[in-house]
Amino acid sequence: MTITHYSSKSTRSNRSAPTQLSDVPSLWWRIDLPMVMLVLVLGCFGIAMIYSSSRGPDPENYLRLYSDRQTLFLALGVVLMFVVALVSSQRIRLGAWGFYAAAVLLLLLVLSPLGSEQRGAQAWFEVGSFQFQPSEFMKLAFIVAMAAFLSNSNGALSGPRLLTCLVIAAIPTLLIVFQPDVGTAVVLLVIAVTMIVVGGVRLRQAVLLGLLAIVAMGLLLSSSLLETYQRERLSVFISPDSEEVDTYNIEQAQIAVGNGGFLGQGYGNGSQTQSGRVPEQHTDFIFTAVGEELGFVGAAGTVVLYVLLLWRIAKLGRRSSDTYGKLVATGVLAMLAFQGFQAAGMTVGIMPVTGIPFPLLSYGGSSMLATCMAVGLVLGLETGGKRVSDPHYIR
Amino acid sequence: MAAKFPRSTTIRIGAIFGVVVLLFTGLLIRLWYLQVLQTEEFQIQAQTFEPANTIRYLPIKAPRGRILDANGKVLVDNRKVNVVTLDARVVREQLTEEQLDDYLLHLAREISRHGRPIKVRDIAAQVSDRRYGPDDQIPIAYDVREEFAIIVGERGEELPGVRLLETSIRHYPYGSLAAHVLGYVGSITLEEVEARQGHPKRYNPNDEIGKAGIELAFEDVLRGTPGWLEIQISPLGRVVSERQILAPQAGFDVQLTIDVNLQALVEQQLRQGLLEAQNREVDLDEEEAELVNPLLPPATYPAPAGAAVLTNPTNGDVLAMASYPTFDPSQFVLGISEEQFDQLIDPESYAPFNNRAVAGAYSIGSTMKPFTAYAGLSSGLIGSRGYVDVHELIEDTGSHVLQDCIGQCEFTNARGESYGNIDLRLSLTVSSDVYYYQLAEEFSIRPGFDEEQVQKTAREFGFGASTGIALPFEYQGLVPDSEIKRQRHEANPEAFPDPSWRVGDTLNIAIGQGDMSATPLQLTNALGVLANGGTLYASNIAKAVINPLTSAQVTSYAPRVIRELYMPPSISQPINDGMVGVTSYNLGGYRGTAVEAFNGFPNGWLVAGKTGTVEVLDKNDTSVFMAYGPTAEPQYAMTVVLEEAGFGGQAAAPVVRQVFQALATNSVPQAETLPDEDFIASAIAEQE
Repeated sequence: MTITHYSSKSTRSNRSAPTQLSDVPSLWWRIDLPMVMLVLVLGCFGIAMIYSSSRGPDPENYLRLYSDRQTLFLALGVVLMFVVALVSSQRIRLGAWGFYAAAVLLLLLVLSPLGSEQRGAQAWFEVGSFQFQPSEFMKLAFIVAMAAFLSNSNGALSGPRLLTCLVIAAIPTLLIVFQPDVGTAVVLLVIAVTMIVVGGVRLRQAVLLGLLAIVAMGLLLSSSLLETYQRERLSVFISPDSEEVDTYNIEQAQIAVGNGGFLGQGYGNGSQTQSGRVPEQHTDFIFTAVGEELGFVGAAGTVVLYVLLLWRIAKLGRRSSDTYGKLVATGVLAMLAFQGFQAAGMTVGIMPVTGIPFPLLSYGGSSMLATCMAVGLVLGLETGGKRVSDPHYIR
Repeated sequence: MAAKFPRSTTIRIGAIFGVVVLLFTGLLIRLWYLQVLQTEEFQIQAQTFEPANTIRYLPIKAPRGRILDANGKVLVDNRKVNVVTLDARVVREQLTEEQLDDYLLHLAREISRHGRPIKVRDIAAQVSDRRYGPDDQIPIAYDVREEFAIIVGERGEELPGVRLLETSIRHYPYGSLAAHVLGYVGSITLEEVEARQGHPKRYNPNDEIGKAGIELAFEDVLRGTPGWLEIQISPLGRVVSERQILAPQAGFDVQLTIDVNLQALVEQQLRQGLLEAQNREVDLDEEEAELVNPLLPPATYPAPAGAAVLTNPTNGDVLAMASYPTFDPSQFVLGISEEQFDQLIDPESYAPFNNRAVAGAYSIGSTMKPFTAYAGLSSGLIGSRGYVDVHELIEDTGSHVLQDCIGQCEFTNARGESYGNIDLRLSLTVSSDVYYYQLAEEFSIRPGFDEEQVQKTAREFGFGASTGIALPFEYQGLVPDSEIKRQRHEANPEAFPDPSWRVGDTLNIAIGQGDMSATPLQLTNALGVLANGGTLYASNIAKAVINPLTSAQVTSYAPRVIRELYMPPSISQPINDGMVGVTSYNLGGYRGTAVEAFNGFPNGWLVAGKTGTVEVLDKNDTSVFMAYGPTAEPQYAMTVVLEEAGFGGQAAAPVVRQVFQALATNSVPQAETLPDEDFIASAIAEQE
């Protein structure tokens, strides 16, 4: 084949040869374009909603601070996404324990005076005017480490190995509970359970695990680790009519979403959103702004787009050429699915209020970067040299 | 391959995704329920939700007027800076004491982290300051880094009631130039607010107000009228809407008669004059010299302070006014500590804050002699039918003994020098005391003459009364007479044991010693009468009030004549000639007291001057010099007073000479403005 004379088709077939797998340029066409597009569309949509919910009351002087910063975060996130995707997944696998150890170290550091407290949680490092939340990156390191560990199990999980899994999960979870950031701790547990299930848990073990989870939950709720307000939030969710606790957030969020109706109040016109009655509406409660201003059409559309993204992740996982890849995709799927469901669910009253950002939509640098890198992990998975959307690819 | 990739994993992923789809379908159903089925109910709730927003009104600060020099150069303008404020209601009513302590600690840390170190007790002092009412935004710190806005915005719940607002502070393009004239603005006190209840320019507790100088004198003009901002606050304390319902109106600019270039020149020469005196050995008479330890290095003059005033004698405009030591008005911009303020008014450090040009009480020494001469000439004591004719010579033997006298009866020239035969003109040129002792005595004893003629003349020239300058804290001076002496004795017999007026008192006044005191501005103003041929003008420091939007003059200040004095050439000529001799006559053993200082001065621009060397108890002499020029048509009158600096001709005269030389040769340098960026930095450095 001559260099000057080749068609795109011949290039593809050439590059799809397994010998070319390690070529970096070949990754560019292997990359799942729909997934990248979905990330970009959701990210940009998020910026628009952040602007609407944070621009402030003065039409002469709208605040662009948050939307501008989020644009920066998204741009940085997309770059990181490609960087992660371009690194061979085998390399990441080899480094898995290093990442895990580093992330745990950061979690320990953030509890020291080096970290700083915000909204009642010792969960941040301050770097200039930016805040960095190590628990977001812990989730990634945890997914990679769990995948590396479980993929050595060859399908079945022995008792001691399952126990090891639990320890791997318990260390960061407890450190995050100590901050205390129960929401993120729950995300870690969900990731852990999902990955263990996919990684080959036996029925007996699953039942045992379920019982353990119930006991752990009970202990957590009755322990002094939970702040009063956190326990209250959970009990509000269980019995919303209890009068002793503040149900303001939930009420206001639901009124906002309900107020949106089928077509919404219009972008920038949500009365609840624009009057700032919903707290944290540019971060954790961003979905209320979507619901009120863009209505059922916008909210459902957002959900559909988000599920499409999850579908691409599941699909890439299923087509991954090794167990490690499948498990990484499973972890990312579990993480994004649970966070999205939780963040949207709490605004409509089907989940308790915990401070979890809606991936790609909510304002927040650490969350945006971590989410993009997670997608990058999935994008970079080896698929035996086949393009995922390649019709000739047979699994 | 199938063994390596167990099919079950793939199936399990599919199953998990199935669960995900189920969950999100549930979410969609819930959305349908809320947004389609139940939407009407929620829409009603959204419209009627209680509690309602509260509405508050905040004043919008109006920019303060600028201060301009005679040619429109900006001496004081405004600079925008941000200010961290605390909502008084939030911190005082919504937090317990314990919460407040934690909160203020947290706030102090955040502000300190953003470039403005602040202590908890400073914030606490502001919070508990009574002048802020419950609706006020209490200013905590100025000029924090912009990133603080992010803290306020992103973590607003952590810092309830904190806002980052924009405000304007005074900016001084020429640094400390003319500091005493300009004055400064500072935080309004509770008393000042209460005194201005119902003022049309609505004063608020976190306002600033002129405290000294032009800033104080023209407060009513410079201050703008604040606007009103209506803000709606949600039950969560978040600002829902902001609406300006009354626009703030900027204050008017004040244009001064001060010329910034002349001001800079005069200040520089004043400093230079003091510096030179500080390097000059103290001139001792024989008696004093014997007491000095010869092993010590010779003493130099301390020359710690002084003042200089330059006016236009044809209309009373003040062209330059300097006082030393001086201060930097930008010290006040971000608030000044009590210690710093005390230092500015401490006599130990020569009270830098004191504007000596209008508030300094000085004996004027021999610079009184031209006015005593006027008293003699206008009353006829000097003249063909008086005690001595204008050109008649009197022998100055160096001392004068009073007739029929008890107590101190012999009065001598300084240093006991004798000047030989002198007439009126030479008496001014060489500064003979004896000549004026004789005049004073004759006033007291010669029938048909008023024994208080010298004091009356002094008052006619404006001594002992306000110059009418629009600057605060003016000292009115003192021209003592028998009545005043008696009153002072009655008020304080120990300090003033002698109740009755003596001829010796008149002698002292005639040569500017004794209890008579005046300000440098008063002396310059009186000198102006000699220069312009008989008109006493009130001193003008302001030229006009200008509307900054239209640049139109709102008010202009015309020259104000206080009185006209009788001054035909037969009176003014000999005085003028004698004073010209002070700077130029050096013949036949008669030598003008400032000839040395004016050596080499440009020809054709004659200067009429008079030196003064004031004896001060336990201190070195105060050096005084006053002069006007050019004598053909006087345009400038200037006075320099240097404390503890020696002879008038030696210390003060060179200062006037340098300024007049620049005027005569048209070489007044351009005043330099400070580099811009230094401003905030220096203001902050001052504060720390």
